[in-house]
This record gives sequence, structure tokens and C-alpha cells, in this order.
Amino acid sequence: MVSVINTVDTSHEDMIHDAQMDYYGTRLATCSSDRSVKIFDVRNGGQILIADLRGHEGPVWQVAWAHPMYGNILASCSYDRKVIIWREENGTWEKSHEHAGHDSSVNSVCWAPHDYGLILACGSSDGAISLLMYTGEGQWEVKKINNAHTIGCNAVSWAPAVVPGSLIDQPSGQKPNYIKRFASGGCDNLIKLWKEEEDGQWKEEQKLEAHSDWVRDVAWAPSIGLPTSTIASCSQDGRVFIWTCDDASGNTWSPKLLHKFNDVVWHVSWSITANILAVSGGDNKVTLWKESVDGQWVCISDVNKGQGSVSASVTEGQQNEQ
Amino acid sequence: MKLKEVDRTAMQAWSPAQNHPIYLATGTSAQQLDATFSTNASLEIFELDLSDPSLDMKSCATFSSSHRYHKLIWGPYKMDSKGDVSGVLIAGGENGNIILYDPSKIIAGDKEVVIAQNDKHTGPVRALDVNIFQTNLVASGANESEIYIWDLNNFATPMTPGAKTQPPEDISCIAWNRQVQHILASASPSGRATVWDLRKNEPIIKVSDHSNRMHCSGLAWHPDIATQMVLASEDDRLPVIQMWDLRFASSPLRVLENHARGILAIAWSMADPELLLSCGKDAKILCSNPNTGEVLYELPTNTQWCFDIQWCPRNPAVLSAASFDGRISVYSIMGGSTDGLRQKQVDKLSSSFGNLDPFGTGQPLPPLQIPQQTAQHSIVLPLKKPPKWIRRPVGASFSFGGKLVTFENVRMPSHQGAEQQQQQHHVFISQVVTEKEFLSRSDQLQQAVQSQGFINYCQKKIDASQTEFEKNVWSFLKVNFEDDSRGKYLELLGYRKEDLGKKALKDSDQVAQSDGEESPAAEEQLLGEHIKEEKEESEFLPSSGGTFNISVSGDIDGLITQALLTGNFESAVDLCLHDNRMADAIILAIAGGQELLARTQKKYFAKSQSKITRLITAVVMKNWKEIVESCDLKNWREALAAVLTYAKPDEFSALCDLLGTRLENEGDSPLQTQACLCYICAGNVEKLVACWTKAQDGSHPLSLQDLIEKVVILRKAVQLTQAMDTSTVGVLLAAKMSQYANLLAAQGSIAAALAFLPDNTNQPNIVQLRDRLCRAQGEPVAGHESPKIPYEKQQLPKGRPGPVGHHQMPRVQTQQYYPHVRIAPTVTTWSNKTPTALPSHPPAASPSDTQGENPPPPGFIMHGNVNPNAAGQLPTSPGHMHTQVPPYPQPQPYQPAQPYPFGTGGSAMYRPQQPVAPPTSNAYPNTPYISSASSYSGQSQLYAAQHQASSPTSSPATSFPPPPSSGASFQHGGPGAPPSSSAYALPPGTTGTLPAASELPASQRTENHSVQDQAPMLEGPQNGWNDPPALNRVPKKKKMPENFMPPVPITSPIMNPLGDPQSQMLQQQPSPPIPLSSQSSFPQPHLSGGQPFHGIQQPLGQTGMPPSFSKPNIEGAPGAPIGNTFQHVQSLPTKKITKKPIPDEHLILKTTFEDLIQRCLSSATDPQTKRKLDDASKRLEFLYDKLREQTLSPTITSGLHSIARSIETRNYSEGLTMHTHIVSTSNFSETSAFMPVLKVVLTQANKLGV
Repeated sequence: MVSVINTVDTSHEDMIHDAQMDYYGTRLATCSSDRSVKIFDVRNGGQILIADLRGHEGPVWQVAWAHPMYGNILASCSYDRKVIIWREENGTWEKSHEHAGHDSSVNSVCWAPHDYGLILACGSSDGAISLLMYTGEGQWEVKKINNAHTIGCNAVSWAPAVVPGSLIDQPSGQKPNYIKRFASGGCDNLIKLWKEEEDGQWKEEQKLEAHSDWVRDVAWAPSIGLPTSTIASCSQDGRVFIWTCDDASGNTWSPKLLHKFNDVVWHVSWSITANILAVSGGDNKVTLWKESVDGQWVCISDVNKGQGSVSASVTEGQQNEQ
Repeated sequence: MKLKEVDRTAMQAWSPAQNHPIYLATGTSAQQLDATFSTNASLEIFELDLSDPSLDMKSCATFSSSHRYHKLIWGPYKMDSKGDVSGVLIAGGENGNIILYDPSKIIAGDKEVVIAQNDKHTGPVRALDVNIFQTNLVASGANESEIYIWDLNNFATPMTPGAKTQPPEDISCIAWNRQVQHILASASPSGRATVWDLRKNEPIIKVSDHSNRMHCSGLAWHPDIATQMVLASEDDRLPVIQMWDLRFASSPLRVLENHARGILAIAWSMADPELLLSCGKDAKILCSNPNTGEVLYELPTNTQWCFDIQWCPRNPAVLSAASFDGRISVYSIMGGSTDGLRQKQVDKLSSSFGNLDPFGTGQPLPPLQIPQQTAQHSIVLPLKKPPKWIRRPVGASFSFGGKLVTFENVRMPSHQGAEQQQQQHHVFISQVVTEKEFLSRSDQLQQAVQSQGFINYCQKKIDASQTEFEKNVWSFLKVNFEDDSRGKYLELLGYRKEDLGKKALKDSDQVAQSDGEESPAAEEQLLGEHIKEEKEESEFLPSSGGTFNISVSGDIDGLITQALLTGNFESAVDLCLHDNRMADAIILAIAGGQELLARTQKKYFAKSQSKITRLITAVVMKNWKEIVESCDLKNWREALAAVLTYAKPDEFSALCDLLGTRLENEGDSPLQTQACLCYICAGNVEKLVACWTKAQDGSHPLSLQDLIEKVVILRKAVQLTQAMDTSTVGVLLAAKMSQYANLLAAQGSIAAALAFLPDNTNQPNIVQLRDRLCRAQGEPVAGHESPKIPYEKQQLPKGRPGPVGHHQMPRVQTQQYYPHVRIAPTVTTWSNKTPTALPSHPPAASPSDTQGENPPPPGFIMHGNVNPNAAGQLPTSPGHMHTQVPPYPQPQPYQPAQPYPFGTGGSAMYRPQQPVAPPTSNAYPNTPYISSASSYSGQSQLYAAQHQASSPTSSPATSFPPPPSSGASFQHGGPGAPPSSSAYALPPGTTGTLPAASELPASQRTENHSVQDQAPMLEGPQNGWNDPPALNRVPKKKKMPENFMPPVPITSPIMNPLGDPQSQMLQQQPSPPIPLSSQSSFPQPHLSGGQPFHGIQQPLGQTGMPPSFSKPNIEGAPGAPIGNTFQHVQSLPTKKITKKPIPDEHLILKTTFEDLIQRCLSSATDPQTKRKLDDASKRLEFLYDKLREQTLSPTITSGLHSIARSIETRNYSEGLTMHTHIVSTSNFSETSAFMPVLKVVLTQANKLGV
């Protein structure tokens, strides 16, 4: 069941391109072609504009909240080739850092799992992915992966910090060091998986090929303690794939077509518990998908302007699972 | 940015949008000769492979053609939706011919690739276009005003759009309208454009300005607006692009004058109507917005003109341009750096030449380098305006609490005027609920917990159970809440004492026949017999008043008689044994005293070969471990029954555990699941979780619900029956509970999620989740927003480095979470002269110590959560201390006249709301931060303490708090400072301080004694406020009192002389020692205030501790969370008496750990840490003792070795991980005495970086 509990009038003057809640789900950040980033307090169904952040000189594509242990930090990326890291201090939001290391539109920003420190991955139309690492003292170290995706990178998404299965079954003596990984999708129709080598360099680990057009978004599913890694990808070609990898080395990924839509699919987002995927497409529709017992992905809801209901059949299916 | 290039002088056509992969077809251009002046012609197909970073295009096919081409297009004709068939390639030739090629055949390498050919036209065919609505329709234009419409289904006979225009002119361009399928436009170099309506079969409008200088080289319809088109002029005198609207055809709507010389080609993007490409004789390629005239982009090109330019239909950012220098280049308009490509080229060069000397100069070449300038130029900026296709119009993202954030933008209206149209830029937040049954069951569980209606709940579950096992589990759980739980357990296992008694009478002879060593019947009937015998005995004894003969004859009887008469029990017993008179022997031995009895029993068992001997042995020797360890697992029920019947409370759990573990390790799945029952009996939640998880698939919400229901109920039961410290939440349970709460939260039930989270644990994931839930609830957090409770706030200074950046983000992750509280205790500013400045007594000095067996992980210690035990006692209700804590009667000597209360209110003092008292604020510079943290809900006792503290602080000198409130703060100091921690907190040697016994010279321990003297007086209230930490192993349940006695018959006569240490202890010592010594930390304030206290001032008259004091500490409460650590401290002196050597293979552990502690000590600066380390060093003796006795399980020792290894490599975080692993996998009681302290050491080492 999907029911609208809050409608926020953002007063943006142009298209909204992203809307993200913070870690607690109490604040909403939006960004728009009107070059602004806005932050709202949306607790208890209200909407209070906390900040209207100006600083970008082009449409702002995405916003990303950092983990609250680092304070209230929001990253935004824009067509103006810049990434801005905003920060709240004493109740006021202001620009904390500006990253101008890209030669083209920066399309996606994503914070690494907080366990790694404050690391931001940025994907740009210049084909590069840059990684900003906070090193203290207001300094950010930049690592850049050039030519990650020809013509451009559209999306980046970090792998969860918990290496699947490591929580309990970690063999003794093995280093608990996380292997940092993230996925990216681009205009070369590819999804690429990147891994940090021991020398700190980022290396392409995998190339996932199934889409026949631009990959618009990738989303690495949160870990729920199972030894499977899952990535969702969507593309200009209207297809959404679910990629899974069961082996520990992370080398064998197999795609499963979730659905072929009639229009470009712009965005995929996993629920926190990683069992529902929200798909938003060019037909302005948002659908929710869930994997049924037999491994098929089923649309459980059509969210039309936020209205929708979960179809009964699936709910019954869940009961049958018992 | 240039992506690819091909060295061809050719016309080009992209494959249609449907096609994947993307191909580019090139046909040798008829107009230009290439450098070789070759007259050969070819048709080639290349693949655009963007995953290949090189500039080369992948050639797929080459077809040698006899034609050269003026125009090449690739139509989607007969292409299916999958793009499998590659459409049709249509070429305009030199001699009026139009040729249709099958590109799929070309790619396949077929010889016969021409589908059809027609040379109806006169002169070269320069203009071709495919109707996008009917892809079988192709328009062509050539000389003499010839325009034909070809139907690819019937290629032989073309149509005409109407009568030829006069005068005859060359048709240079032709284009179908993009909106209306029967409209066609043509243009010629002479300057005119004609629009045809195919339905009317005539030209409907002619477009031309009056300059006569428009030499049309390009014509394009607006992609979205039917009436608009652009014309480009080739004339250098008028190098313009005119935008026309046919509705106002008298003059162009707009004129774009961006080129300096004639325009050779244009292309309008189908993906974004605001992008129009044009290339001209000024050697520029421009991308402009024809709707505004603004130049958005200039492609970096060489100085050559381009004569053809095409957008890639499938990839909207890609275009190709053919230039007169014989090259087709593929560009992206998204900008980007070509550094990578250039570097590749340089590399190529370098590797070709090497560093050899190709020019014979005698000098090796320096490595090739790109000049700095080039690098700068290599950056190609993107379009000024974002292209339409990267503007995301819609999105949906999940957020915490099952919320879905969605937004959508109504599609951009096609013409500019409509852009102003009022759009609602709304974002919707929705609640997504998918697991209704899960929620309702969770709700029921919650209600059961709230209403305490556990029995009903369990009963319902029993009734609803589908499987026998499920029913069993719930029955077992239910028993926990009923009286006589052990008896009920037995019943559930199928044993009823009364029944057995009867059965035994009836079938006593069967006992002998029963085979199986510990067969149920045998055992239980035996039990019955005992009961019976006892009864008989009791019946017979009083009436045995008859006379009897005392025979002193020479036979055995006589000898025994003689021995007895001479009081020689030993001989008598020997004689009896010899004569196989077992019963006589035992009876006599009882009379002969403990030693003899024991020996006799041993002899008896050695002699007796009966099949049930082992059972009897176990019963008599109370060695249930033997039974549990060695019984046939098929008899687990019986073993469990035996344990239920006989085991003492303190060993009961462990035995159940043991049995459960055995069952669990059995591969057989039915048995495995039965282990759950054992764990339920044992009250071992953690193991239940582990076992259940193993047996069930816990990933589904409902199966998790199944587990959580049981766990929650069991935990409640355990709390009731065993007064278990609720803070002991194992790793696994924590994981499950947080998973459960996460699920609830994901369904939007945040309140329920909060309710189910174990409220008293420092498991990082739980602490983290609780914080998240609390805040997600949207409850206004008291104070301001700043504190992040579970995380140390990372400072992120502004852009420039400056003095602000004092908080550097540590690279070592494990240290990030250390709360400020940990730092605070190092500042010990109190002095006994200023009672107001007592605050530095920090219960949280060492969280791992204060929390006994459950040291918090290094991360995520709540700032406010100074004392979890206290927090557990006062979980949720906010308010003032004295309203919550049972009033504490002021013991006589404590009757204070001093303003000590806020000093004793330990934790309250160092987070005052207003830093009024200077010493306080000095000691805690970060006070405001902490104080706001403490306002966090769930930290009520601190919150309360604030208020409490603030009032007296404001006028410290004059206003003494009234007795009740002082009592309250006094109590606060009590539970807030468990015994062991108080030792750390107090600076040694200061007057009035009272370190724990272990830290005092033996002579000073009189203090303990003297305090102990007051015990009776304190006993009552102590139980009130100190229950969970101190008395937790003393069962409260009425059916299982602490002096629980197993069934009487055999054991009681035997047992009594030995005595139950626990009951003995309780007899001898009216009050358990633990609260006493925690008590010992209290007097300090009074002392400091000058009140004489005989306990301390008395110079060492009474030395040593009464045995009743130390002994119970050792034996009293094994495994008790708090008691253990404390007891250990106490027991050290006695332990040192006799020691075996540590086995060689384990000696390394000792040396490593001691070495580490020494290293830490040498680099630790503050006395607090040093004390902690000193103590750790002492407490690790416990580990060494276990090593000496070799009682540790191999997994633990091997784990310890791993830790030692990681210490050697200084990888403490790995050590800590191993530590967690050990703690989570090992038996609690086995490791509880030393593992926490080991963790302290590791953590310290990590912190100090030694």
C-alpha cells in the first residue's frame, strides 16, 4: 500500500531533478534546473524550508546526504561541472567545498558507506569518475578515473560496506578490511564495477553488458546480511536489469530482466531493506517491484502521483511463502 | 570531444535509432577525390564501440562498389522493434541512380547486397529523405527540379509530389515534415524552398527571401513544431541560417548569423529541438539553438571544412562530421577531456620508437611528453545549455521508514511559449507498506509484551501452531511464566512425577529389564523408587522399635558387628563391600563420615556394573555434565529431564546449553531443532537465535517474525526467572533484533521498531538504529539539533585550512566513534575542600568495565549513556531521580551535613546545563555538547540528573539540598558507579577516596570490612536499587530459590555435609558482598566533608577479610555479569597461592598480552588509563589461570592465539574483530572473566597506537 503522507511544494522554478531524504527521513533535499538546492524539514507531515542553496551555475542534477556522523552534509552536482559540498554549521547551511575537477556536467554523486570515511564518488559526462576523500583540515584529496565511460558517466552507486556474509562467518585471522567497490553506469551502455586496489588506485573490476543504450542509473542494493550482491540498473532502452553475484570473489554477475518499459527508465532506488525496487521512467510513472518466491520480479504497485496500492496477489503470495 | 575517426572521404549515414549496436555507413563521396585520386569506390560499415577508448572505429564490412555517392541515408524500413534486421541503406549516385542496399548482408559479407536500383533521375541524386511515419516512403531530389517519392514496397515506379517547379533547378535538399506525414519540403541552391502537400499533390508554399543570395545547402524541419523549418545558405555573402514559420512566410522568423562563411550542411537534433548543428566554409562546426540563435557549442575541429554532418539517431550526444581532408570524425557534444586519448597516442609513439635513436643523432630521445599547453587545450567544454536528454524528469527514492519520495515533471512542452506554463514542482512523500501480516503479528507481540499477558500469548500460539515442534517450542516458552517451571518442563517432556511413582510400584521388575543405559523408564522409575524408598523409610523408621540380636560370630556378620562395636567404620564398610552388601556399606559409611562415604561410593561404583550405574553415579556425584555430555542424543529428552530434575540453578543453564549444543552439532535436522528447546530451558537467548537461524530461513519477514516472537518471550521469561542482566544482548541477537526493527521501520512502524529494540545494549547496530528511529519519529529533540548521539561528530571545516580544523578526521575507523565522555575522566579536578567540584568521578571512565561482561564495542558509545545498568533500571520514564528510585534510608554514619549531593550525583555533575560552578565547566569544556546529548530520550536518568544538579549548583555555598533529594543523588551515585569502575574513577591516595579492595594495600581492606558491618542495615534498600547488576544470579523465582535443593532421597544425606556453598554463604553472610563494596565508594564525600568515618581512620586494626567475605565472591555467582568482574578483583590474592605453570604452547599468550600492557603503560599518559591497564594486567591472571588449568576450549585458545598474533603485527582492529568473534561464539561463562578486560587492553593499544 502506498499512500501519500506529505506533499511538499518546493517552489522550484524549473524541473526538479532529484529529491532525497536524509538518513533519518526527516529532511528533504531537492534540486532543480533552476540551479538551486533546497532543504526542507518534513517532520510530521510538515514542510519548513530550511535552506535555499545557491552556488551552482547550471541545473543541479543530484543531491546526496552524507552520513550524520560527519555532521549535516549534502553534496550536489550540476551541469556547471561542479560538485559542491554543503554543510550546516550553527544552523546555517553554507558551501563547504567546491570541486571543479570535471570538464563536463557532473551527473551523479554518491557518498561511500560511512565506514570508509567521508568519500564522495562523482560521475561526469566527461567520462571520468572522481573520488573526493576528506583528509581532515578542510582538505579533500581527489582521485580520478579517466575514461571510465566514454561520452559520460550517468550514475554511481557504492557497494555496501558489509562484505556479504562477513558478519558472522568471517574466518579467523582474516582482515576485516572492507573492499571498497562501487558501480557506475554510462553512455557506453555499460555498467562498470570499480574496486580499490591495495595501492589505493581504482581499477575496473567488471564490465556488465546487457543494456543496448545509455545506462541511466545503477543502484547497489543495501546489504541485508546475505552473501549475495545485487545491483539494479536501468537504461534509455527501457530495460531494468537486476544483477546478482553469489560468489565471494565478486566476479560472476548474472543479469535478470526485471521489465522492459516503453520509455527511458531514469532512476532505480532500493528500499532500505533491499527487497523493493522503485523504478521511475520517462512515462512519469513510478512502479514498485518485489521479487516473488520463484525469483520473478513482480510489480506490486503503480505509484501514480503518489497514489497506489499493492496488488493483492503478491501479498497473498507472501503468505503462502510461510 | 572527438571520440573516433576514420580516414575516408565519404558520405555517411548512421544506423537508425532502433539499431543496436550503432553503425556508421560510409560511401565514397562523388564530389571529392581523396589524396590518392583513386576512382575506386566502396561502401563500408563501422561499428561505434564506445567501450573501446581508442580513436579507431571498428570496421564491420567493406563492399566494393562501382558507384560513388552524393547522398547516403539509412532507413529503418522493415526493421522490427528489436532492430534485428538492419533496415535499408539508400544511396544517391552520380548518374541519377538510387540504390538500395541491405546493410545486414553487407555486414554478413554477402556478395549480393543490392536490394534494388533505379536510375530514373537525371543527374546526381543529392537529396534523399525517409518519411519517419511511413518508413517505406523515400523522397529523392536531383537535377531538373526532379522530385520522386519512392515506395520501397513497390520500388519500380516512383510518384511525384506535383508538377515540377519552374524554372528547372537542382534539388539540393529534401525533407519530410517531422509532424505531418504528407508534407515534404525541397530546396535548391538557387535559393528557394518549396513545401509540398502530397495529398493535394502540389506545392503549397514557396519560401524565399528577397535577397537572392540564399543558396540553400541545408533544409530541416523543426522536430516538434510542424510549421517551422530552417534553411542554410552556402553563399559566403550570406552565411546564414534562416528559421521560417510557414504561418508567417513573408520573412524569416529568425536569422542565425554565426558563421563567417557559407554553410555547407546542417543537422537538427531529434532528441532536443534546441540543438542545431551547422558546418561551414569557415571551418567551424557550431551547435546553436535555432529558437534563440545562441551558439551553444563550437566543436573543436581542424582547419578543414566539413561537408556533411549527422546526428547519431540512437546516441543523442554523438555526431559525425565528414571533412574535406578525407576524414570522418565522430564527436560527443558533452565535452570531456581527451587527455586519456592523447596519452594513448603518446604511449603508442613512445612504444614504437622506444627510447632508441631513430634519427641517428647519437642521443637517445627523451621520453615523449605532452606540452602543458596541449593539456589545457585538450579540455573540451560541453554545451552551454544542458541537452534535453540529460534532464531527468522523474524520480523515486526510498528513504528510512519505508518512505518513498517521488517527483515528476510534466513533459517539457514542445514550443517555447509553453515553457512559462505554470508547473507545479511538487515532491510527494509516501508511506509504502508491503508486509501487512508481519505488521499485525508484530503488533500482537507488542501488545502481549505491554500487557504482560505472556501466558495467553503463548497459549494462542500453541493453539495456532501448525507443527508439533512449533507447539513444543511455545509450550516450553509458556512454562517459563508458570509456577513450577521445571516440573512443567518435565511434564512436557513426558514425565510426571506422580505417575512415575505409581508406575514404579507396579513395574519395578521392569527396571532390571530395561536396556538402554539411560533409558527414560529406567531413569525415571529409579527416581520413583527413590521417592518410594524415602517414603518407606520415613514410615518405617519411627516404628522400628523391636529388639534385635547383635551377633558377634566369626562370619562376616560377626566381623562387621565387631568392627562396628569397636567404632571401626572403615573396616566394617570394607567387610560389607567385600561381602557385596552394598546397602550396608553405604549406610555404614554415612555414619562413618564424609571421607569414608565418598570413598565407599567410589568403590561401589567401581564395583557395580549395572547398566544404570552411570545414571546413578551421575545422580549421586551430581555429575550431570557426564550425562549430558555422553548420553545418546536420541535420549536427549531424558537427559534434559534429568537436568531439569537435579541440576542446581547455577549449573542448570550451562547443562541445558551443553545438551543443546550437542543436539545442534548433530547433523540430523530433527535433533537440531530440538536444541531450541534446550536453549529455551536454559534461557539462552543468543543460542536460541543461532540455532533457529541455522534451522530456518530467516530472510523472510514472517519467518523473522517467528523467531522474534520466541526470542522476545524468552527474554521476558529470562528476565523474570533469572533476573538476567538485560544488557547482555549477544551479537547475533542484536543482529536479528536490529534486522527486525529495520523491517518494522521499513514498513513505517517506527514506534514499534523502537519498542522492540533491546533498550539496554551497546551493540553498535542497535544503538545506531535506535538513534535513527528516535530521530525519524520526528520528535522534537530537546535542546538544539547539533548532537549526533552515536557518532562522534566529525568536524568539517570550511574550504580553507585554518585553525578551525582541530578535529581531524581519523583515518582509523575504529576510533572515530569514541565519544567525548571517554576523554573527560582524565581530568580529575575534584578536591575534598570544594565539595561542589566533585564531578570528575566518572562512572563512564571505562565503559567496558562498568558494563561488566558486555563491554561496548569501541564504536557507538552513547555520549549520555554513562551507565547502562542504571539506564536499564530506569529505561524510559523521564523525571527526577528521587521519584524513580526507591528511597534510600540514610545510614547513620552517612547522615550528612555537607553539601555533597551533587558531588555524589556523579554523572549528573559533569553535564550541568549551565556551567555555573567554575571547576565544573573547566573540567568539561565540551559540556554544552554533552548536556544536549543527554537530553536524548532514553537517557532519562541523566536528563533528570541535570535538573537536579543545576539547582544546587547555582548556590553551592549556602543551599544544601534537603534530605530526600540528597538521598536521590546518593542513589544515583550508587547504581551509576558499579564497584569495579569506582576503583578507576578515584585518584589513589587522595584523602577520602576508597579504591576497590584490590587496589588497596591489604591493610586498608578493613574498610571493606567495616562497611560490611553495616550490611544488615543496608540490606533492604540495596536489593531495591541494585538488583540487576549485583544479584542477578540469585534467582528470584519462587520455585527456584537460591538454595534450591534437588530432590531429596539420595542427595540430601550426602549433600548436606558437603554443603551448598551458596546457601552456606547466604547463611553466614547476610548480605552479598558486591553491593557492599559498591557501597564503599560512597563514603568519600562525607569524608571529604570532614565527617570522621571510623572505617578509614581506624588504623588497620583488623586486617584481612573474613573468609565469608572472599569465598562467596569466588564461588557465589559464576557467570554473573557484574559480579564476575568484581569477584575476580577480590579473589586475586587467594588465587596466587598455588599455580601450575602455563603450558608452553600458551605461554606466548601471556607474554604477548603482558608485553602489550607494558607497552600501553609506557605510552599512556593519563593516570586513568594507567590504572585501567594495571587492573587489566591483574585481571588477565584469570585467563592465565584458565590456561594453567587447561580448561579453555580449543576454539577459544586458538582465538586467543589469533589475537596474540594480531597484537604482534600491531593490528589491533583485527584483534578486536577476533575478540568479538570469540565472545560471540564461545560460552559466556567461560570467557566472561577475562575477555572484557582483554578488549580494554586491545582498545587502549589501538588508541595509543603502541
